[in-house]
Amino acid sequence: MIDVSNLTKTYPGVAAVDDLSFQVGKGEIVGFLGPNGAGKSTTMRILTCFIAPTSGSAKLAGFDVVEQSMQVRRRVGYLPESNALYTEMRVEEYLLFRARLRDLSAADRASRVGEALEKVRLTDRRRSIIAHLSKGLRQRVGIADAILHRPEIIILDEPTIGLDPTQVREVRELIRGLGEAHTVLFSSHILSEVEKICGRVLILSKGKLAASGTPEEIANRLMKTGNVRLEVRGEGRKIKETLESVAGVARILWSSKGDMNTYVVEPKDGLDLRPALVRACTSGGWEIYELGYERVSLEEAFSILTAGPEKGGTP
Amino acid sequence: MKTFLALTRRELGVYFVSPMAYIILTVFLYLSGLVFVGTMKEFAESQLPVSFQPTLQWLVMLIVLTSALVTMRLIAEEKKQGTLEIILTAPISDAAFVLSKFTASIILLIYLLLPTIGYLIIISRYGPVDFGAVLCGYLGLLLVGGVLYSIGLFISALCSSQITAGVLTLMVAVLLIMANIMAPQLAETSPLRPILAYVDLSVNFSDFLKGVVDRTRLVFLLSVVAFFLFLTTRVVESRRWR
Repeated sequence: MIDVSNLTKTYPGVAAVDDLSFQVGKGEIVGFLGPNGAGKSTTMRILTCFIAPTSGSAKLAGFDVVEQSMQVRRRVGYLPESNALYTEMRVEEYLLFRARLRDLSAADRASRVGEALEKVRLTDRRRSIIAHLSKGLRQRVGIADAILHRPEIIILDEPTIGLDPTQVREVRELIRGLGEAHTVLFSSHILSEVEKICGRVLILSKGKLAASGTPEEIANRLMKTGNVRLEVRGEGRKIKETLESVAGVARILWSSKGDMNTYVVEPKDGLDLRPALVRACTSGGWEIYELGYERVSLEEAFSILTAGPEKGGTP
Repeated sequence: MKTFLALTRRELGVYFVSPMAYIILTVFLYLSGLVFVGTMKEFAESQLPVSFQPTLQWLVMLIVLTSALVTMRLIAEEKKQGTLEIILTAPISDAAFVLSKFTASIILLIYLLLPTIGYLIIISRYGPVDFGAVLCGYLGLLLVGGVLYSIGLFISALCSSQITAGVLTLMVAVLLIMANIMAPQLAETSPLRPILAYVDLSVNFSDFLKGVVDRTRLVFLLSVVAFFLFLTTRVVESRRWR
């Protein structure tokens, strides 16, 4: 559905998007994750034909964003980060206006607007002037606009920014629901949010794709830091020495209470040491009471991926 | 076409939901009334046959004053508020967007000019009126308005502050209406002199006032409008290649 290859957008002195390539399949909900300034909005603006890439290409539903911009625009629903609306209009009036811009037939317009209002639960506020609505409600107007013409692809830029926790949950549910009928690409700089809705996550850092996959896959790939926690009964020092002799162990932290020892084993190079450690303990005749694996949460993976040392940055 | 009409309608709607249109309409009506009464007084005192021409001449000046107010927010506001992004990611061509803005401003100009027909009715009771010449005069007003509004629209596309756009537009408009007055201040040999005389809008308008539709004037004014609309479209497009 979305096919981005070698996309680059440079502004004088900065590469906002740097040789970015990724694909999004039909019906997928993909989260675009990255700290502020990672190039999420720029990428989305290119995908929605608001700006053109410096080089590389992007195809949505098979149409090129530069060459066939009108076809792309017809198939995409977009909520920009600013969620700018014509605030002097009433909710329903605004959506009818947007429906007209989307070239919906007169017969369809009213029903589609009603449908969209129903979906974002704004039906009772249809007569309100947008300027009088709270931020959360305005956000819903923006989302209603993005789904109005039943687009194949929906692109939402920071849909939950500035909302209170209840509203965030509502918007999250809404996006999850959208995934049933549409392909959704949405961005966020908050992890927990993406983790909860998306089948797949694309992590962007300094305009480049730092990682892509399901939240678990990304975390697994970063298992380098996955420590093993062991609780073993026996002679502490001796066990420690045995464990240290296991190939791939970088460091062991040891604490004990009576003859119950707790070890935190830090592996080298992302190895999964669990089987080797268990073998070492059983061959020594010590009983294992607990074996724990400290998985990297997406949160940690995110900060590892995006907060890496500045490489060749210009002052 | 449907999208163009929808855009134009909204654009007109914005004038009328804000106090802007009412302020412009009221001030325009008040000033044009003053002008009309003033010129009528002169006719009464001089015992000359009445004519609508002096009123039309003054209306050009009033259009100059409105140009900034009518056009300053057109694109600058959309840029500032970010609504440009939602409009230009919908299936609308940049040209249709620009043209709808311009059309809405011209419709507002027609609204401004409509009440002045009342003066025409009054005047026709006191003497014969050359309706052909008056019609030409109104055509001239629309053309001059078109030139000023297209320039204003262009300036609005360049600025992201309405105020800046308004001030600049007013400066350019005043310059264009007074170009011929300024021309004699320049050195006799200055190449600018004939240019200033040529672009002066009141000079261009004076032929229409006489009831003559001079083809060169007509083409000149229309091409200025087309040129600035084209430039405005390019400015709006420029976000893509910047």
